[in-house]
Amino acid sequence: MSKFYNIRLEINRYDPDTQLSWIQTYQVEVGGILRFVDVLRKINDEQDPTLAWASSCEHAQCGSCGIIVNGKPLLACELLVKDAVEQFDTYTFRLRPLTVAPVLRDLVVDLEKAYDRVHEAKPYLIKPAPLPPEGDEYRISQETLETYIEATQCINCFCCATACISSHRHFLGPNVTMANIVRLMDPRETEKNERMDILYREDGVYRCHTSRACSFVCPKEIDVSHFLALGKEGKF
Amino acid sequence: MEEKLTIDSTIKCDVLVIGAGGAGLRAAAQIGELRPGTKIIALTKVTSPQKSHTTTAQGGMAAVDPKDPEDRPIFHMFDTWKGSDCSADQNVIKTVCNMGWEEVVWLERHGMHFSRTGEGRIAKRPFGGHMLNFGEKKSFRACYEATRTGKGIMDTVWDECLKYGVDFIGQCIATELLFEGDRCIGAIIFRYPEGKFFAILAKATIVATGGKTKMYQVNSNCRGNTGDGLALALNAGLPVMDLEAVQFHPTGMVGPGILASEALRGEGAILRNKDEEPFMERYAPTAKDLAPRDLIARSIITEIREGKGLFNEDHNAHHVWLDLRHLPKEVHEKKIQEIESFFRRFVGVDPEKELCPVTPTAHYQMGGIPTNEYGEVQRDSKIIVPGLFACGEAAAASLHGLNRLGTNSLLELITLGKVTGERVVEYLKDAEDPEALPPDAGHIIFDQFSTYLNSQGNEKYAQIRDTLRNLMMEKVGIFRSEKPLTEAIETLKELKEKAMQIQIGLTSLQTNQDIWQIWELNNLITVSMVIAQGALERKESRGAHFREDYPERSNEFNYHTLVYMPEFNKITFGKRPIDMSMLEAKGEHFELFDYIERKY
Repeated sequence: MSKFYNIRLEINRYDPDTQLSWIQTYQVEVGGILRFVDVLRKINDEQDPTLAWASSCEHAQCGSCGIIVNGKPLLACELLVKDAVEQFDTYTFRLRPLTVAPVLRDLVVDLEKAYDRVHEAKPYLIKPAPLPPEGDEYRISQETLETYIEATQCINCFCCATACISSHRHFLGPNVTMANIVRLMDPRETEKNERMDILYREDGVYRCHTSRACSFVCPKEIDVSHFLALGKEGKF
Repeated sequence: MEEKLTIDSTIKCDVLVIGAGGAGLRAAAQIGELRPGTKIIALTKVTSPQKSHTTTAQGGMAAVDPKDPEDRPIFHMFDTWKGSDCSADQNVIKTVCNMGWEEVVWLERHGMHFSRTGEGRIAKRPFGGHMLNFGEKKSFRACYEATRTGKGIMDTVWDECLKYGVDFIGQCIATELLFEGDRCIGAIIFRYPEGKFFAILAKATIVATGGKTKMYQVNSNCRGNTGDGLALALNAGLPVMDLEAVQFHPTGMVGPGILASEALRGEGAILRNKDEEPFMERYAPTAKDLAPRDLIARSIITEIREGKGLFNEDHNAHHVWLDLRHLPKEVHEKKIQEIESFFRRFVGVDPEKELCPVTPTAHYQMGGIPTNEYGEVQRDSKIIVPGLFACGEAAAASLHGLNRLGTNSLLELITLGKVTGERVVEYLKDAEDPEALPPDAGHIIFDQFSTYLNSQGNEKYAQIRDTLRNLMMEKVGIFRSEKPLTEAIETLKELKEKAMQIQIGLTSLQTNQDIWQIWELNNLITVSMVIAQGALERKESRGAHFREDYPERSNEFNYHTLVYMPEFNKITFGKRPIDMSMLEAKGEHFELFDYIERKY
């Protein structure tokens, strides 16, 4: 049995009907192993059904529940109350929506709009290599796969893009740039020219200021900046 | 507030896919490949198809590699038939098992990042119930991408759909199917951000809304797996099939319900009760902690019922322990580190030093909208509904019957998704554009939303949701019998009444989480009622359906349950025969495809 915590959440509210914004405070008593999604649900259940927030799988595998807690972008489904108290050394938490897309209401942002950028990276194989002579699947050695498999774990939660110090208007963003780099490293992709054009375009990889914020906040623990560095070097 | 609900505008397309998960988008990709230029619209409740529930599947996708010197598709067919407790359809089993490998290759060639062997080929691992030589020894036929096979599959089919220019409409729900006579011609949808209704007229419509076990207190489903597609079909007067077949995974993590994979017990993890007794020794003296899923789940619940379980106050859930403390450091660090990290991350325990709380978690529902082997939706066991298709977990073709083998669900999404796509392309050849929006289009959803918005009641959404989830877990869960099921049906009627009287917090339709969740809750209650009624009607135990008052399988129930419920609790039952075509064809080993015993 974990102990109970009395925590205070200061949450950014936004009402699209009146276009008013304000900060609302909720005081909640919760068990230490509840996650922030559970806490938000508890607020809905017991205090305020109108507070809007987003989530889907709540297994840290879909990236729908990204929020900013005390300045740090993270997934609300994997932040336990007891860990938050320890990590931030406080019982008061300031919750804000991610900054990568327009806010729809409260903590909900329009990730559909943010995804438009992902589509620009063409995450599919644009021009697949000729089929292997042996038939069946392409042969990819474990060593080759090891060089880029980490990057394929990206769930496009946009935590990295939120933490990124480059302006969203001038940079495609770490996750999107990495999605393109993965396919540059994938031996099955032969359309390198178009990919290089995406990589080095005006809002491409050189807009990255190498703060490495992306690597530090990534919930999947991907070293995003490593892949961006490969992109800058042109080493795939 | 009295706001008049209207349809904002009408969008036309060739194919409407409701639910953009693995199955829906595999179908869409097939249509894109075979018929370039087809205008396809795919709807999703989440912001991008990449966020679909398919993405959380871990283990693998079963497929027999023709280059494997030992394995053969017939072994896989047998395992699937036996695993289903003789209630799957053999025509479907045959199609799916024969297609498995070509679909694995399709995924690989389209960019999926499968784990590899030393030779650079797709790696395979064993999985429960998948055997060589008709149950002799374990086979290696689960193709996987580390512990995120579902994500690999989801990304691949989503990517292909991007390539073919499929239009995605995110953050929306399909609220009502549209018909022109018998033919389905699209759906009414509601978009969350603007709070507006749109009509989509389509030559063909595919329902692929996925899983539906969110009505159980502990479950591994995502927030949106609320049975919406099934409610759509039921509201349209169409049947659903075998909904009583709900699969519980024995070890879900308390409280998020995430699976603590069998791999842990495979490495030597032991289940213990509150006295730390290794209780599986009593229930399965030989197999112990590696007994079949359903047996372990029942043993855990028995321990809990006998007061030998524990209670977690944070998550309000009963549980037992999974003990990993005795495992060698090397196993902790090399073999199970990823699954272990879930305990650290989501439950806050250190499995190397502490006991881990686990409890059975509702994981998968075998039943769904009945289709034939081509994904065409059936009105009854013989007649199909023109223009309407279904695939994936929302559908029942049925590959799994009343019980599913691990790694067969990802296989089903991809194979039957493709087959459905092909059938849609056939259908489009002669299909005409729908004439016009039916005059009463929207009436179902407008009635529902008006009720929610204008409710004068003071019922609480959370209270009804929690009552439902406890009720289903206790009375329509792992153990079932007549009295609790009858009581559950009565309570469900009360909950339905209450759900119409919820005090709504927000009456604007824009990004209104409240009304969205009330709508979902109504779908959950609807689907729960069908599960309970089906469970009461099936007076036998088969696969995942276990009746304490009828603990044996009975030949009397060698059929699929069809349930119609055009209005809440106005139930009509039907039957669909089990396809036994492999037995009847009298081919190789046909005798094994009779009603055999399910013993491992």
